[in-house]
Amino acid sequence: MTPAQAVDSLVEFSAIPAALKPFDESGIWDPGMDPFPPSRAEAVRLARERGEGLGEKVRPAGSQRRLQPVVDKFFYSLAANSIETQRLGLWWANRMLATPRPLEEKLTLFWHGHFATGQNKTRDYRMMLRQNAMFRAQAAGDLRGLLVGILKDPGMLVYLDNGENVKTHPNENFGRELLELFTMGVGHYTEKDVREAARAFTGWTNDVLAFKFDADQHDFGSKTFLGRTGPFNGEDIIDIILQQPVTAEFVGGKVYKHFVREELSGPVRAGLGRTLRDTGYQLKPLLKQIFLSKDFYSPASHATQIKGPVHLVVSTYKKLGLTEVPTIPDFGRMTASLGQSLFDPPNVAGWAGGRTWITPSTLLQRGNLFRDVLFPDVKNFRPPDRALSATDRAVGERLARGMDITDATKESDATPNMTAESNMMVDRDEDYNTRYGGYKGYLMAFERTKTTPRRPASVDLTAMATAAGANTAEAVVDYFARRFLSVPLADKDRAVLIAFLRGKGATTESSLRELLYLVLSLPEYQLG
Amino acid sequence: MRACCSRSRRDFLVRGLYGIGIGAGLPLLLNRTSAALAAEALQGTSVEKHPERILVVVELSGGNDGLNTVVPYADPAYYRARPRLGIREAEVIKAAGGFGFHPAMVGFERLYKDGLLGIVHGCGYDHPSLSHFSSMGFWHTGVPNGGESLGWLGRLADRTYETSTQNVIVNLGNSQSLAVRSGSHSPLVFDDPARFRREGADDEKRALVEMSRPKGTTNPTLEFLASTAQNAAESSDFVRQATAGYRTPVDYGIGGGLAGNLQRVASLIASGMPTRLYYVTYQGNSFDTHVQQADLHSRLLMYTADAIRGFVEDMKRLGRDNEVAVMVFTEFGRRVEENGSLGTDHGTATPMFVIGKGVKGGFYGRHPSLTDLDDGNMRMTTDFRRVYATMIKEWLGYDDAASVLKGSFEPLGVFAS
Repeated sequence: MTPAQAVDSLVEFSAIPAALKPFDESGIWDPGMDPFPPSRAEAVRLARERGEGLGEKVRPAGSQRRLQPVVDKFFYSLAANSIETQRLGLWWANRMLATPRPLEEKLTLFWHGHFATGQNKTRDYRMMLRQNAMFRAQAAGDLRGLLVGILKDPGMLVYLDNGENVKTHPNENFGRELLELFTMGVGHYTEKDVREAARAFTGWTNDVLAFKFDADQHDFGSKTFLGRTGPFNGEDIIDIILQQPVTAEFVGGKVYKHFVREELSGPVRAGLGRTLRDTGYQLKPLLKQIFLSKDFYSPASHATQIKGPVHLVVSTYKKLGLTEVPTIPDFGRMTASLGQSLFDPPNVAGWAGGRTWITPSTLLQRGNLFRDVLFPDVKNFRPPDRALSATDRAVGERLARGMDITDATKESDATPNMTAESNMMVDRDEDYNTRYGGYKGYLMAFERTKTTPRRPASVDLTAMATAAGANTAEAVVDYFARRFLSVPLADKDRAVLIAFLRGKGATTESSLRELLYLVLSLPEYQLG
Repeated sequence: MRACCSRSRRDFLVRGLYGIGIGAGLPLLLNRTSAALAAEALQGTSVEKHPERILVVVELSGGNDGLNTVVPYADPAYYRARPRLGIREAEVIKAAGGFGFHPAMVGFERLYKDGLLGIVHGCGYDHPSLSHFSSMGFWHTGVPNGGESLGWLGRLADRTYETSTQNVIVNLGNSQSLAVRSGSHSPLVFDDPARFRREGADDEKRALVEMSRPKGTTNPTLEFLASTAQNAAESSDFVRQATAGYRTPVDYGIGGGLAGNLQRVASLIASGMPTRLYYVTYQGNSFDTHVQQADLHSRLLMYTADAIRGFVEDMKRLGRDNEVAVMVFTEFGRRVEENGSLGTDHGTATPMFVIGKGVKGGFYGRHPSLTDLDDGNMRMTTDFRRVYATMIKEWLGYDDAASVLKGSFEPLGVFAS
């Protein structure tokens, strides 16, 4: 295969058949839960007004804690959506591991970071699932399709508050991030452009899981945006943005930085921008240009990228020959401790990536996690999708001891003067008990979400080493280095590893695993 | 990058105590003793007047709504601009001069009454950016619209501490803030101290320590990783032991992130960590209240005020309140007028807070006008770098603040000298 053919088959991935499992939903949304209120306080206000909320009836006047069923249901929804999102993340990780179209999943993850949206704000895994499918369908399509897709995406509309962008008081969040983070980059537009774009997107909202254009809230008036004037709507704004050369350079440059390296010269940036613009923002020609460029293969680009947490974990499993993501340790917990949670980016700018992944603490973690994979602690493992917080556990224990709800939910035993305001607020126990609601909500969520089967990785390093014909300490070390590292092992480090393995005496599965743990903990292993 | 040469006796002592040597299993008492020795070793060679003092910077990310934090309840223009979101006068915790705190900030009320809280009105900079990322970058570098690559605290450390001094800066968080990015120091960044450890049997750990050192290659990313690994190997044991053993009766509230992180700072201070600059973030753009902000903002302010008050209380309990000051900032305030979704959009000027026993409590600077606006936004009245200069000069006692801040800024006289 020539390089061009190889790149073709990588980029033209839709030709490769891929029958992968769809996400197996638990079914956690009941009638009456949509549209979901923005806060517990709002849920309570509405329920007081209507006599019911979130599909639950308020208890008759005079009964104790009349609003408790609604508050329980509110916290149930938060907990159940959070658990379902963890399940969704695991499903995606398995897809990344199993797919015959690796670039498709890499691009889907790239767009997730570029058009960052988080479940912590949407509080609805269904939105995340739909958005993920949209990114995958458009992954190597064209930028306009992606932009229209994301700007009409319910998850994004909620995440950037555009559901609340109305003509009388435009909300600028969406327009600003569109210009700054999604298309042009700061410095290429004015504050006035932000405000005018916000006007054009007024009335773009969602009816739960569907895009909705609310004509009553749309400002049909004339706008002046990036030097042009007219009664623009949202799609007009996208088209004007796409006419700006800087847009093609901004997006092309970001793709390059993601796949090649952090530094990008002016001429390369301009060239990528030209390719995108000349092809009407088709992404495949851009990707092919990047993957065939001399730059991509130059020493300066070799092994200078730091693997992101999701990439690090999934690619390690691939190198270990696994076909399914182990669930002890937990995938989501692993990547979260390294700074990346699927479907929960830190903010709308996504993951900053590169060196920001690395701190003294995350660097140690990067090794530790693989020790947990190679020496799984099955006995003490506590699944995060069935774990109560310390506070909730304490509430449960007090209730089990026969305390009533009021006493069981009193958290603070600090003296009144030492108790913080926030603890006193939660301790208040009137029409409902917030702390009990939080506890109860979790229990309900545990019942309603499907259980993740928990199993450790099945790894056989002895078989791997034997199959590779590695039968001395030197040969094993060299084999692991070759298989796992993308840069050569320094002589000094090689000697340390060989001495380590020799010091173990007989080469057992356990000593091979210890050795591999050392290799996977090396600074070198962080390089892509 | 780590410097390789020029080891004075002091460096050796400090490194010896806080480097690899102190790690395993020293009882806390001995740690305290060595901390005192290390502090003594620092005396006399520092360029500052107050080498024992510590600065804790708290970042409220997302753009805190200053007008609903320090409420100008005596100004009718406030209620005109905020018909639905304005905090009613009866609810405001009154302070002075027609200003008061959001009712959730009981913690700040106590600090104010105790004379420990300084409030600086209207902080900002010229040509303000309404982008979170740009504006936060300007506050982090202290050089608005300047394209500076190091953080102001990083540059401060570069100027005041020798490269070989370990752990001058601690940044609690999942990633390193630009504010602490330094030319010659390697800030200690960690999130969960319990997990800040190398796992494995002794021989595994020994092998990894051996391999965690500069590699002498031309790959800059690899060298960065290797030097970070070295830093981790040298510091993690100490940090973990210091934080794990910490118990306090003081209630920091339930504001998960900030409360927990300030408690960790307290534990490190208590254990004698030689750190001078702590950086703590209320993370995740939390204060970006575009929509339905009343309940959310109230919660955020309550958590913040509880956590900071708890921390100050804890310092007093430890007898360290003379040595610690807190500075609180956010990247911008919010638009004077509320928006149509019961929230507020990005704005400009915003109050800053300086807290500690050394502080002369009260208000500083002038509140910006709520009617003479720049495109709906307040015009800042105090350049935020005057507050930075105050912390550098008046608090830490380093006179050449101008070289750190790349410009001369007049301190505000917040600290009793």
